Amino acid sequence: MGEIRLQVIDVSKNFGITKALKNVSFNIDKGEIHALIGENGSGKSTLTNSLTGIYKKDSGKFILDGKEINPANQVEANNEGVSIIVQELGTLDGLTVAENIFLGHEDRFVKFGIKNTNAMNKEANELLKKYGFERIKASDMIENYNFEDRKLVEIVKATYFDPKIVVIDETTTALSREGREELYKQMNRIKESGNSVIFISHDLPEVLKMSDTITVLRDGVFIDTVRSSAIDEEGLKKLMVGREVTGGYYRSDYGEKVSSEVVMSVKNVTVPGLISDVSFDLHKGEILGFGGLSESGMHEVGKACFGASFDREGSVTLSDGTKINDIPTAIKHSIAYTSKDRDNESLVMNQSIRDNICLPSLTALANKLHLLSDRRLKKFANKYAETMSTKMQSVDQFVSNLSGGNKQKVVLARWLGKDSDILLLDSPTRGIDVKVKQDIYQLMDKMRKEGKSIIMISEELMELIGMCDRIIIMKDGKINGELERNKDMDENSLIAKMV
Amino acid sequence: MANKENTEVLKDEALKKQSFLNILRASLPIIGLIIVFIVFNALTKGNMWTSRKLILNQIYVVLISAVGVFFVMTLGGLDFSQGSIMGIASIVVCKLSGVNMILAIVGGVVAGALIGAFNGYFYVNRKIKSFIVTICTMFLFRGFIKYMASNSPVAASMKVYDYDTTPIKLGITVAVLLISYVVFRFTKFGINLKAIGAGEKAVMFAGVKTDKVKFLIYVLAGAITGLAAFVNIVKNGSATANVGNQLETQILIALVLGGMPISGGAKVRFENVIVGSLLYIVLNNGLIMMGLTTQAMQLIQGVIFLIFVAIFADRENLSVIK
Repeated sequence: MGEIRLQVIDVSKNFGITKALKNVSFNIDKGEIHALIGENGSGKSTLTNSLTGIYKKDSGKFILDGKEINPANQVEANNEGVSIIVQELGTLDGLTVAENIFLGHEDRFVKFGIKNTNAMNKEANELLKKYGFERIKASDMIENYNFEDRKLVEIVKATYFDPKIVVIDETTTALSREGREELYKQMNRIKESGNSVIFISHDLPEVLKMSDTITVLRDGVFIDTVRSSAIDEEGLKKLMVGREVTGGYYRSDYGEKVSSEVVMSVKNVTVPGLISDVSFDLHKGEILGFGGLSESGMHEVGKACFGASFDREGSVTLSDGTKINDIPTAIKHSIAYTSKDRDNESLVMNQSIRDNICLPSLTALANKLHLLSDRRLKKFANKYAETMSTKMQSVDQFVSNLSGGNKQKVVLARWLGKDSDILLLDSPTRGIDVKVKQDIYQLMDKMRKEGKSIIMISEELMELIGMCDRIIIMKDGKINGELERNKDMDENSLIAKMV
Repeated sequence: MANKENTEVLKDEALKKQSFLNILRASLPIIGLIIVFIVFNALTKGNMWTSRKLILNQIYVVLISAVGVFFVMTLGGLDFSQGSIMGIASIVVCKLSGVNMILAIVGGVVAGALIGAFNGYFYVNRKIKSFIVTICTMFLFRGFIKYMASNSPVAASMKVYDYDTTPIKLGITVAVLLISYVVFRFTKFGINLKAIGAGEKAVMFAGVKTDKVKFLIYVLAGAITGLAAFVNIVKNGSATANVGNQLETQILIALVLGGMPISGGAKVRFENVIVGSLLYIVLNNGLIMMGLTTQAMQLIQGVIFLIFVAIFADRENLSVIK
């Protein structure tokens, strides 16, 4: 064991009635990558957000190199030597790359109240060059760059000043393969310089590969700190869930014949700037996967099939000849869609679980006079929320208070209630823990057996390989290959077609 | 195990505390109404109670038109054109009252609905923020009103006075409230409305034709105020150039006093309209009876308005005023 860099002592944090952290204590050493894992709602992000001044902890101490730190915001945290890269986009539109990098630290370039933009751009360009990101120009507006490049800018922003601790909060789920590799490289660089990384991820193989030490949290309580070399994936799952995770994770069947009956036929679909000339058939009882880099256009395929794309050309036709051109028609004809952008497109956040579940089924729930009764809505919502075993106080609770996994359960409960026959699932397990993932895979398998058809769009290659009858790989907005379900398929055969 | 029970107890206590705060918040307007009513009765030595008929007579117009704005605000929009809608519709009612009374009512409603459709078109199809659109239409139609009624007020037929009875005015008000309540609480339309206020994009992805709903709501708000214009003319007999002036502000204050979250959404309750309108009228009359000048009244109204907005603003949802 090396020298101690950060001591976390008895840290607690409550959100209203929810105890997000209960007296958590552990140490982080100098020059290590320290992973923090646990199911959704176990308190990982709450802990790191308290450390970096995004939240204010209720009690306990953070001691960095022997000195207690208590930052009130991220800039103060930076000054103490702590920085964070968040899961979602952490750069601001309307500012240049350089302004984003030095956000909150502009004073360095200010003389007599005037900002020296040239000096700032010059220094930012030097930094970008040092990191090997020369193609990003400091004076460009940040919105000229895509999600991946903006994440790279964030890496620079969070690490250029050699912070003692860098928190990386589930950043990898949003990144493509190259982006991840770049991040891994930077993590190792930080480690070698003697500073420490706190690494939060749901991807256990990645955690085992990258980290030296792993701390497990469950329901806001510290469970254990283990050496990565001394544990395997099963062992970690057991620590996270608190019991053995039994049964297969993915479906286990191979060689089953998929029905030849076509339920949805997509012909020459083009969405300007996103996808071009995409054609495929979806069969009854099939799970059809879409894989690719996040910018490959695969996410737009789901929207296009749901009639939600702007300016779409080409046709989406159901077996009875219905053309899907708008969302109401899609839903009326038993199509369901879960968006990658769960919080904005799938759920009405400041609304009850009840109304979220009932929303597309209101017509069916109304009586002859087109009236709805509270009792009936509640019963309906309860039934499907419970089918999905959603963790909640009651269906009157607002969705915004739920954890990521439970939010996704509400989305799925909605479409279960609608009894949809075609499900378009975009990133259904994004940011979701092992246990809920397993539930979702089992649900998909059950639906498939009931003759429902599923399109699964995912950036996680393992789940595509594990769940799909057929995988279509997208590249640059076009279909670049198709693979049949096969026991021996590995990630590399998919990656070969992705890049 | 003991530990678990312990946290359960804590959870229960915290839940109780939270729901107590929510109840307090929800009942503040009604408590306020009762207190204000008692205080003013005491201060005016019961004068307020004796003149209750006069006070009731003032509430119809505000209450009816507030229902339309209530719908608009539920989905997260605003409507500042209500005063001008009231003005135009009142003039239409006056002109048609000589021909036929049913025609006058229908004419008022149609005139209101047309202006509402005008608002809705620019808001929904041209994607301009609702408060900008409705401020523009407020000035635009106020211009028409001045043009038509400045030289001399537009007088209604003498027949309208036959309708100036409490049963008719109260009947129209109660009917509007009842129908709106049922629509708001127990129909798909009502639930969709609240959901749009809470998160429009997700509602669209759940298959609701959000643009259509938004457009219809502005038409409806216009139509309801058009109906209120009939009640207004029945009461006043003519339309001056100032008819309906500042109605939009009165409605806004009334709704906020009733506990309406200014950004709409899931926390909106129908009681907001009724309690708010009552509270506004009682407060207004109380202040007049106390002998306050108009200037002082506006000042006090402003302060009270600010306090209530501060209490009821749904801060998680504030950014979505459309």
